[in-house]
Amino acid sequence: MTQVDVRGLTKEFGRMTAVRDMSFTAPAGKVTAFLGPNGSGKTTTLRMVLGLVRPTAGQALIGGVPYARLGQPRRQVGALLEATSFHPGRRARDHLRVLAAAGDIPGRRVDEVLDQVDLTGHAERRVREFSLGMRQRLGIAAALLGDPAVLLLDEPANGLDPAGHTWLRGLLRGLAAGGRTVLVATHLLGEVAQTADHVLIVSTGQLRFAGPLREIGAGNQALESAFLNLTEEASYAGRDSQ
Amino acid sequence: MPAAIRSEFRKLATVRAPWLLLAAGPLVVLAGVTGLVQSGANVHARGTQDTALAHVGLAAVFTLLFGILAVAGEYRHGTITDTFLSFPGRRSVVAAKLAVYGLIGGLAGVASSLVAVAATAAWWAAKGGSFQLSSAGTWRTLGGGVAVSVAFALIGVGVGALIRNLVAAVAATLAWIALVEGIAGQLIGSRLARWLPLAASESVDRATLTAPATRLLPQWGGGLVLLGYAAAFAAAAVLTTLNRDVT
Repeated sequence: MTQVDVRGLTKEFGRMTAVRDMSFTAPAGKVTAFLGPNGSGKTTTLRMVLGLVRPTAGQALIGGVPYARLGQPRRQVGALLEATSFHPGRRARDHLRVLAAAGDIPGRRVDEVLDQVDLTGHAERRVREFSLGMRQRLGIAAALLGDPAVLLLDEPANGLDPAGHTWLRGLLRGLAAGGRTVLVATHLLGEVAQTADHVLIVSTGQLRFAGPLREIGAGNQALESAFLNLTEEASYAGRDSQ
Repeated sequence: MPAAIRSEFRKLATVRAPWLLLAAGPLVVLAGVTGLVQSGANVHARGTQDTALAHVGLAAVFTLLFGILAVAGEYRHGTITDTFLSFPGRRSVVAAKLAVYGLIGGLAGVASSLVAVAATAAWWAAKGGSFQLSSAGTWRTLGGGVAVSVAFALIGVGVGALIRNLVAAVAATLAWIALVEGIAGQLIGSRLARWLPLAASESVDRATLTAPATRLLPQWGGGLVLLGYAAAFAAAAVLTTLNRDVT
């Protein structure tokens, strides 16, 4: 079982502390929602887990190993960070073929994931012609390419239409049901209420809540009030201390 | 073939911009040789043939820009994130880019050389000169031009890693070539100016932009200096890439 362990992660950018002493575990076989307002440190935390940003303190482990020491990272971890990281002149299929070459992933996976995200009919188009939702699907395809045990997705629902949201929900549930670890950073509470098993709530770089969704209470309403209470309290506390 | 190198080739094979950039090299050589003859250069004089062939070295500016695209282009489009996710050690990314861009830079130099030889031979025939393919000067000029094409591609990879903003990297490089090295050369005097990168490259490819050939280092000496610059920029590319946060 490949779980994600975050232990005491801290990141300071100059004098600004983006993430402060963050610790949590995202277990295998579950969808863990990583919730927080914009600028609360979710993305920085994910980037530290992926070895893109060096923590000031603490560490992140994937199946007990830091990302940088994974033998075949693309086959062990799939990541979606932003829907803009494409060369606009490259065709969708070629984008995936580049990643397949980099990750020693067989070429047939390219067609499989294109099919999985419903982009087969657009595979030969250049990314500059894609809508935001299509880019998002291509990014998700890239994350799925190596059939990894761990998926780290930053705002995967960005730009998806309502049918896309339903599709994404099914995809995430299916991945977790298959035993994978799914960590999703988002601020779409309604989605979370319908999809997540575990919830992490952060604000101003600190973890405010970690636990099963049912602890917060059933339904969108309960989640929303818990979210607002936890994140507002924190921002008032932050203001007081300054 | 290592995965990092294979993916660099595949990245290049699936976009058009770098190839359009490299195609400009032979076109500039063709235009340059033609311009030299059209402006009345004496095809019977001994040095004129080498002056024509030395356009290969001038075209190396395109392999320099090509090298800059390798790293700064990835930062521009955000694809550097995916690249580092595939190779979190990052060292293999820089090594693969140096190898692939250096090789293709050299091949671009060879393509420019072929065009230079064909264009020069054709013009010399048309103007009644006798083109000497077998003269030592021919091979020293063409070989130097190819060597500069490789070195500039490597230096470009380093520049792109140091200045990750593509526009800033290209602007700084073109400003150095057009302006800064000339001014710096005047400030430090011609004895030291010979050691600056563009002057060193001119002693290798025998093109003259900054100084009369008599003030340059010998070809082998310029070659060693240029090799040193390429190694320094390559090392800088590795050092600046390894620990940098990608946000």
